[in-house]
Amino acid sequence: FPGLADVSISQDIPVEGEITVPVGSHSPDEDYSTLDEPVKDTIMRDLKAVGKKFVHVMYPRKSSALLRDWDLWGPLVLCVSLALMLQGGSADSKDDGGPQFAEVFVIIWFGAVVITLNSKLLGGTISFFQSLCVLGYCVLPLTVAMLVCRLVLLAGSGTVSFIIRLIVVGAMFGWSTLASTAFLADSQPPNRKALVVYPIFLFYFVISWMILTFTPQ
Amino acid sequence: GLSPQALVDDTEDVSLDFGSEEELALRKARIRHPLATFFHLFFRVSGIVTYLFCDWFSNSFVSCFVTILLLLSFDFWSVKNVTGRLLVGLHWWNQIDEDGKSHWVFEAKRVPTIAASTEAEARIFWFGLIICPVIWTMFFFSTLFSLKLKWLALVIAGISLQTANLYGYIHCKLGGQKASRETSRLFGTADVPKRQSRRISEDGTEEHGKTGTR
Repeated sequence: FPGLADVSISQDIPVEGEITVPVGSHSPDEDYSTLDEPVKDTIMRDLKAVGKKFVHVMYPRKSSALLRDWDLWGPLVLCVSLALMLQGGSADSKDDGGPQFAEVFVIIWFGAVVITLNSKLLGGTISFFQSLCVLGYCVLPLTVAMLVCRLVLLAGSGTVSFIIRLIVVGAMFGWSTLASTAFLADSQPPNRKALVVYPIFLFYFVISWMILTFTPQ
Repeated sequence: GLSPQALVDDTEDVSLDFGSEEELALRKARIRHPLATFFHLFFRVSGIVTYLFCDWFSNSFVSCFVTILLLLSFDFWSVKNVTGRLLVGLHWWNQIDEDGKSHWVFEAKRVPTIAASTEAEARIFWFGLIICPVIWTMFFFSTLFSLKLKWLALVIAGISLQTANLYGYIHCKLGGQKASRETSRLFGTADVPKRQSRRISEDGTEEHGKTGTR
């Protein structure tokens, strides 16, 4: 290219223009589909996510659903059902089991918050709400135990019924504790695992104790 | 501008295309999302009304507690996931990436579409969002001082849920405003990005950017 050999730029020529980098495709239709999806779709999506997590608790494996897509609907439902089933155990029927109901609520949520703070102070990598989510969902086996206990108590409240309840509650307590430590203990440094597991053990023990000592009037 | 047909002939009957009648009505309406506006206020106000008048509805503490709790939860979910997006074009959520790090994302829609929100809707939204946590805080003090402590758990739950939404949306709004000031400084008004968002990780580091997913 002989012509080009003579080309030389003697001075700085300012170069200007526009560089646009397409950042994904934001067509108006896509905005509508993600931001304006029908409400029914959102509800169904969330309900399915909650159901999936219940299944993952019953068969504890490393589950990304419980850890990454956390939500607190499951713990709320479980907490309310457990508190409903636990009320009516006081002699003072005029009070309508009021204090017991709020007590169960406070024990579960306050206990879960304290455990989460504890694990965060020990240097855990899991986030606050993830931990609450796991602890809340792992109350499911104990809620099942409560249901079984109430059914057994309908049949009678003698020694046999107590032994059955003891076995059921004990088994579910073990299941809850194992399930939650399976999810939570991994996020801790190895030498701190016992320090994290112990409060979880205590938490589910208190709930199991409330279930076991429940006697309807 | 005028459609090309209008320039053809002065005596010809020309129909200018303003869009369908529905779109026209939508643009004129003061409230474009009546259902969302209704539900935004419905759950919050029902919760407060039930708390104030629960003795009239039922003797049972437990049923009042559960009802108010359910109303508060539905309100939290609907305000966070539905009415915020529809009424003011803001959205906030928590995202956990593959490393297990948790990020809070605050997103503000910037380009107005036909069905975007009106000023009346925005005013109703912010009014409902701000006044209810204030009312629940007043309930907190009245419960505390009248020593009706069994309601305290419920009032605290109400305050937390409603304040969380308030805080999230204020963050979105401020993030959008701050980013729009920076954008006008850098780009002029020509190249305005469609959505601004801020991601805040749990350890406090912050990044601005445009997001696409979720």
